[in-house]
Amino acid sequence: MNHEQGDGLTTDIDTTSLESATETALAEEAIRVAKAAETVPRADQPLIFDVGKLTVYYGTFRAVKDVDMDIRQNQITALIGPSGCGKSTVLRCFNRMNDLIETARVEGKVEYHGVDLYGERVDPVEVRRRIGMVFQKPNPFPKSIYENIVYGPKIAGWKGNYDDLVEETLTKAALWDEVKDKLKESGMALSGGQQQRLCIARAIATSPDVVLMDEPCSSLDPIATLKIEELMLELKKDYTIVIVTHNMQQAARISDQTAFFSVRVDEQGQRTGYLVEYSQTDEIFTSPGQKLTEDYITGRFG
Amino acid sequence: MTDVTDTNLHFHQELESLEHDVLSMVDRAEQMVEMAVEAVCIGDVALAAQVIKLDDDIDRIHLDVHGHWTKLMARFQPLGSDLRKMTVLLQLNQTFERMGDQCVNIAKVTRLNEGLPRVERMVEQIREMGDLVRPMIRTASEAYVRHDLEEARLLPDMDSPVDRLNANMYKEIVAVGSNPQMLEWASKILMVARALERIGDQAVDFAEQTAYLITGARTEFIKPGLNRSADDSPI
Repeated sequence: MNHEQGDGLTTDIDTTSLESATETALAEEAIRVAKAAETVPRADQPLIFDVGKLTVYYGTFRAVKDVDMDIRQNQITALIGPSGCGKSTVLRCFNRMNDLIETARVEGKVEYHGVDLYGERVDPVEVRRRIGMVFQKPNPFPKSIYENIVYGPKIAGWKGNYDDLVEETLTKAALWDEVKDKLKESGMALSGGQQQRLCIARAIATSPDVVLMDEPCSSLDPIATLKIEELMLELKKDYTIVIVTHNMQQAARISDQTAFFSVRVDEQGQRTGYLVEYSQTDEIFTSPGQKLTEDYITGRFG
Repeated sequence: MTDVTDTNLHFHQELESLEHDVLSMVDRAEQMVEMAVEAVCIGDVALAAQVIKLDDDIDRIHLDVHGHWTKLMARFQPLGSDLRKMTVLLQLNQTFERMGDQCVNIAKVTRLNEGLPRVERMVEQIREMGDLVRPMIRTASEAYVRHDLEEARLLPDMDSPVDRLNANMYKEIVAVGSNPQMLEWASKILMVARALERIGDQAVDFAEQTAYLITGARTEFIKPGLNRSADDSPI
């Protein structure tokens, strides 16, 4: 399966407006990069997501405000921060998962390959095929291992050799050797770590170019966690990965960039998440630029 | 954010204790420099023996610090300024242990030179080097404790005269002439000068570590005129 990118995302796109929008986006990007050259991580890698002034509401509750960040190709970007800082909310904006929450409202720019991800003509189903997601708790379908892999491609109408797809996908997810003799058995019968790798395999079976992970190891033991981390480092050769993690050491071990979010409380007592610092992981964990980041990673947090 | 809670209090207490142990080595090293220079200048073998004994303390602390450091890394995996402090303390642990060794080298010359004829001019230069090196250790130590970058940056300039005196010792050897016993004495004193020059370099390294701890950027202080690398000495 080949990746389709760019305007293939929209169902019926006006090319002129896309070009114009892309030019504007490029110009904006150039200005932004010039303004904040030192804070843009790995600006040499192609831009996958361009997020500007992203603000998300759940009803009247403003969960996160004014997030500006780039996500670059074949990089692992980690989102860290205390509970309620909006990191999972931001992650869910990257594949429109917040659409599934009725009261959610997204403001600001979320561009994917230069296309407005929240544009009217954008098909959310296609978005989620290209931008897969792995959740905190392994949630394989109550079907066979084989069916877990082919389910998405079948729905997408993919015509190809499913046996080959299953082998290729499970191999990429470092699970093939463990399950090749029991493909017809239930995915639910696997261990927690294997189930999570199955979920990763399911996410990459539809040939996405981005995989979002929301605390993918938080329910796993240390060995299973290390296997997933090793897998992520392999997968980033083919995919762009954005991960939310509560485990700072995990972010330090695997990510190229780290975004640190925190919470601000206004006079009315409303808590809103915001992006404090976004930088190369090596820098953020040895010499962070912001005192708030320093306090958080050294455990001084109040 | 006003009230900051230390959720990593146990680690920070351990880190403070580790830091205290490392700094106790530099206090001892400073004292040992004074004693070793005095011993070699006046030929006091008993004082030299005390220096060698004090080094046993430094060696013991060095091993304890290394063990404690390893446990803290394994247990807490510190980040940010905590991680920088840990790397700096590991480096300083090594630096101060070597300072102690250099003092032992100086002290040992006391016995080797016992009964040999002396060149007073060279003795005075060794005293002068000692008088220059001890304030370097003190200044570097205070810069570390106060987190004072400006003070740390004073060290390269303080080290320059030490290097000059060390280089000058070679000329003094030539001036000694052909008396074999005097030459033997002077060649050992050359080792003393070299040891003091190394201690000066180690004090500069201490200040560089302090600068890294404060700024997060690794920089090597540049000294005017002289390269303080270990390779440029004839010894």
